[in-house]
Amino acid sequence: MIRFDYFKPNSLDEAFSLKRKYPDAKYVAGGTDVMVQIKNREIQPLALISLRNIPELSTIETNGKARIGAAVTIRDIIGHTELERTYPVLVDAAKRLGSTQIRNVATIGGNLSNCSPCADTATPLLIMEAKLRLRKLETTREIPIVDFFQGPGSSCLTTDEILSHIVLDPPSERAQAVFLKKGRVKMDLAVASVAVLLELDGDKCLKARLAAGSVAPVPLRLRRVEELLEGRRITPELISEAQRMAEESVSPITDIRSSQEYRRHIVGVYVKRGLEKLLGWSRV
Amino acid sequence: MKHEVAFILNGAEICVRIDDHLRLIDLLREVLGMTGTKEGCGEGECGACTVIVDGRAVNSCLYPALEIEGKNVLTIEGLRDAENRLSAIQMAFVDSGAIQCGFCTPGMIMSAKALLDANPDPTDDEIRDALLGNLCRCTGYVQIIEAVKQALQRLKGPS
Repeated sequence: MIRFDYFKPNSLDEAFSLKRKYPDAKYVAGGTDVMVQIKNREIQPLALISLRNIPELSTIETNGKARIGAAVTIRDIIGHTELERTYPVLVDAAKRLGSTQIRNVATIGGNLSNCSPCADTATPLLIMEAKLRLRKLETTREIPIVDFFQGPGSSCLTTDEILSHIVLDPPSERAQAVFLKKGRVKMDLAVASVAVLLELDGDKCLKARLAAGSVAPVPLRLRRVEELLEGRRITPELISEAQRMAEESVSPITDIRSSQEYRRHIVGVYVKRGLEKLLGWSRV
Repeated sequence: MKHEVAFILNGAEICVRIDDHLRLIDLLREVLGMTGTKEGCGEGECGACTVIVDGRAVNSCLYPALEIEGKNVLTIEGLRDAENRLSAIQMAFVDSGAIQCGFCTPGMIMSAKALLDANPDPTDDEIRDALLGNLCRCTGYVQIIEAVKQALQRLKGPS
């Protein structure tokens, strides 16, 4: 039998003081990753500190900037009409995360803090250049999401810190974005995923942001592809070059879900499809 | 450690003192003896353990039991009526031959129930999407989808 103590603080301050008292305790929100890790004995915490009952972490604010509490469930992101209207690519990705049962409890902060390279909400947040608010007892810092991920299962969070909010600027009026995910069946973890954001003036690319999942140790910004596209008129030839460059930018591995060759191929294809869709050349 | 947890289970108020580390499925099966809910994979892939918490389908194998405090839980045992008759969804599963070994059935039915409660007129795609997190190793999916559609018709009543 796997035993642990379970604490349910009602405020961040209470959570911090529990963590100070029980330094080996692990924070848990929806539990869809942590409970599996405990079952498989990948981790053996003596205590869990639940972040599910802290009101501050469970709200979505959308006046001007969007501030999404880290313990907001994927289900509540999908059902939020203002997020759907303003940041549809995030909601699209949320809809592709796991099964109904998982989405009903899994949280956006947990999806990010688990630091899986395949985190479905990471790539849309990377292309929208979200900021993450990290809280500890007396200080708060805000970092670009790209600096958060350090490797599989590893973030820049210090042991006394909690990811408290995801902050999104209001989108530019020209910005359009798309999320594409390949899984064997729909609820699977991604074999590969790609998110693309473009700001276009006709077919001229003013701004490009691309990110790929499941093809590197972290959810990855494809910066070279962005630089290739920005300031140029997008032509089929340029898209082919972007496709090739995307394939070269990633470093996938072979595992039970896919081979590295297939992952690399999919990233290229999805970069092409994403660009063509945003240009209105295809409907995909 | 142990804590007390109070919640509503299939319409009845329950208060039990349990070990911190129990999952909702342990509370249901081991503490309360309600074995209608099954444990398959124990990691949120198969959906055999699906129950409804505050109207939403969840995997009870991933749900810390202490988080159920103050919530409303519905399990397969809660679907029968006062005369011990099966619900419309259960009858539709029986009549459609949507049950072979039966192990996935309680979870399938709870997922279907959560869908039909929230969306009384789902499309085929919405039905499939709602059942995506429920595996059937007898591979009776066609009959299962058919059963949900039949339940839908019965719940709507004669048109």
